[in-house]
Amino acid sequence: MSLLSVEAVHTYYGDSHILEGVSLEVDSGEVVALVGRNGVGKTTTLRTIMQLTPPSKGRVRLRGEDITGTDTHDVADAGVGWIPENRRIFSQLTVEENVHVAVPEGRDVDAARERAYETFPDLREHRYRDGGTLSGGQQQMLAIARGLVGDNDLLLVDEPSEGLAPLIVSAVADALAATAAETTVLLVEQNLPLALDLADRFYVLDDGRIVDSGETSEVEESDERLRRYLSA
Amino acid sequence: MAISPSASGVSGANALASSLRSYARDHAVHLLVIAVLAAYPGVYAVAVNSPFSAEAVALLPRVETMVAVLYFGLFAVSFDFVSGYTGYLSFGHATFYGVGAYLVVLTANGKIPLLPASTPFVLLLVLGGLLAVVFAVIIGAVSFRLSGVYFAMITLGFSQVLYVFVRDWGYLGSNPRDGVAVTGRTEGFEIGVPGVDSLSLAVGQLTGDTVELLGVVHLTAAEVSYYMVGIVVLVCYFAMQRVVHSPFGRTLVAIRENEERARAIGYNTFYYKLGAFAISAFFAGIAGGLFAGYRRSVTPESGFYFLTTGDALLASIIGGFGTLAGPLYGHLFDEGVREFLSKGGSGGGLLPYLRENVGQGTMETVVYNGMTVGETIDVFLNGRAALYVGVVFVLFVLYVPNGLLGTVRDRLILSDRDD
Repeated sequence: MSLLSVEAVHTYYGDSHILEGVSLEVDSGEVVALVGRNGVGKTTTLRTIMQLTPPSKGRVRLRGEDITGTDTHDVADAGVGWIPENRRIFSQLTVEENVHVAVPEGRDVDAARERAYETFPDLREHRYRDGGTLSGGQQQMLAIARGLVGDNDLLLVDEPSEGLAPLIVSAVADALAATAAETTVLLVEQNLPLALDLADRFYVLDDGRIVDSGETSEVEESDERLRRYLSA
Repeated sequence: MAISPSASGVSGANALASSLRSYARDHAVHLLVIAVLAAYPGVYAVAVNSPFSAEAVALLPRVETMVAVLYFGLFAVSFDFVSGYTGYLSFGHATFYGVGAYLVVLTANGKIPLLPASTPFVLLLVLGGLLAVVFAVIIGAVSFRLSGVYFAMITLGFSQVLYVFVRDWGYLGSNPRDGVAVTGRTEGFEIGVPGVDSLSLAVGQLTGDTVELLGVVHLTAAEVSYYMVGIVVLVCYFAMQRVVHSPFGRTLVAIRENEERARAIGYNTFYYKLGAFAISAFFAGIAGGLFAGYRRSVTPESGFYFLTTGDALLASIIGGFGTLAGPLYGHLFDEGVREFLSKGGSGGGLLPYLRENVGQGTMETVVYNGMTVGETIDVFLNGRAALYVGVVFVLFVLYVPNGLLGTVRDRLILSDRDD
């Protein structure tokens, strides 16, 4: 049984039909990349899984259990973490507080913080600063750190490299690799080398439909098979 | 500030020192404000007996006004607790103020079953707060299904329904439209330790206690009320501040910033918002109780009516949204300006000051088209306070959007970063 299975979901924003029967599966321990051009529905797929934008048709199952139409906080409580695009950290909370709010109730907050700071030593230095005053790379680290301390079984990561300088991207990639060693990841990413490097399998999304999928070992970034769906 | 990796230990110590410094500074400000407020009646008494008596009377708010600043300031702070920290504008907040106020007056008149008219005032304050919590849970359970302007409108709707209800409910008094006064209890409402006379002092303009200390310090009823109400307000303020800085309070800030993100972390934001609403209502209820205990009467307009919420909103915008203490300063500013520009009478202010201190000749000088200086002053000042407060309000929204305290804090944080 897959950890996550998305079964032929259709999702709308108002009248716009964004996802037109998307199906995908993620097994425990895998890193799966969801790639595709801008505006094809990658972020919507993650939002549909989180039930932030519930599907109007189709099912989302977690460990076989139907979570379609449940509350977002219940999906999160069931072990799904979401690292949204644009590094949506809480800018008016300090780094410490940002990590704190992500620690599930009843867990050891200090231990969780220690874990976050061990993975991202940079954050320890800035622990008393407001999230909003961090650099873009640091904010992304903080966003990933929060995903890490959430003790999630599945982490949905949306465009982690977007808007970051190349040097920072490689640091973020290292952080993601460290995270992926501990948890299952569904990664939305336009940076193809990064996606193929981190992921075991991939899905290609185009105009709201899955048009290709396979093992990342089967393809190279220059393959026409991927290129035609990714270049603008 | 640029930090090399090798300097991380030093920068950690710096960060800690800086956070200790800002903590100490925060508390220094608290202590300073409390000291200034505690000294106010003394300063006022000295000032009005000094050679600058006329100026002091014109400029400084009376102690009676300051009592109102305290209890209504507490209401404004409670409004900011929910509206400033969750971003949900509680436009019906006057409901909770009214509930606390009516409970005090109705109990004193023997209209509340099981509660004798002599129920200790401190207990009534707590009961008023708890009753407000009940109202908040019922109203919030419906209203928090909406957000933004719809939330504001539905809470406003609830409070207006209750306003009409208390205005027309004959059980409350002989003429509920004009409000209800305390008639069933002649002694003052005492704040202190219930049952211990020596540790309780009554508040009120006429029924308040006066105090002689060692034959030197003489406190009038207004001054005693000021200190006793001040103690309750201070305790409530620190309780709310404690909540704001707890993990619960930090979660509220997270919800205000990005509710979707907070839900995705696993927070059932509905219950957090409802919790904040209930806590806020509790303190609003206490504020209403203090108001009724001091004034010994309540009208549907002073509790429940939307303009009462409007005054709290005004105080929050002038003082600073999401600053907790800001609305207290905002309301002090509001009351100060209103009194300064009021028609005067016994209250002092600019108009009587000018009437008494500008020479007769100047007053009768014609300025324009037969209008004298005296008449001009009257046209611009007599009963125009609300107009000028409105202008001040507009200027604040445009040029000081973070309010008095918010702007000061922003400056302090910026200067801290420059360190």
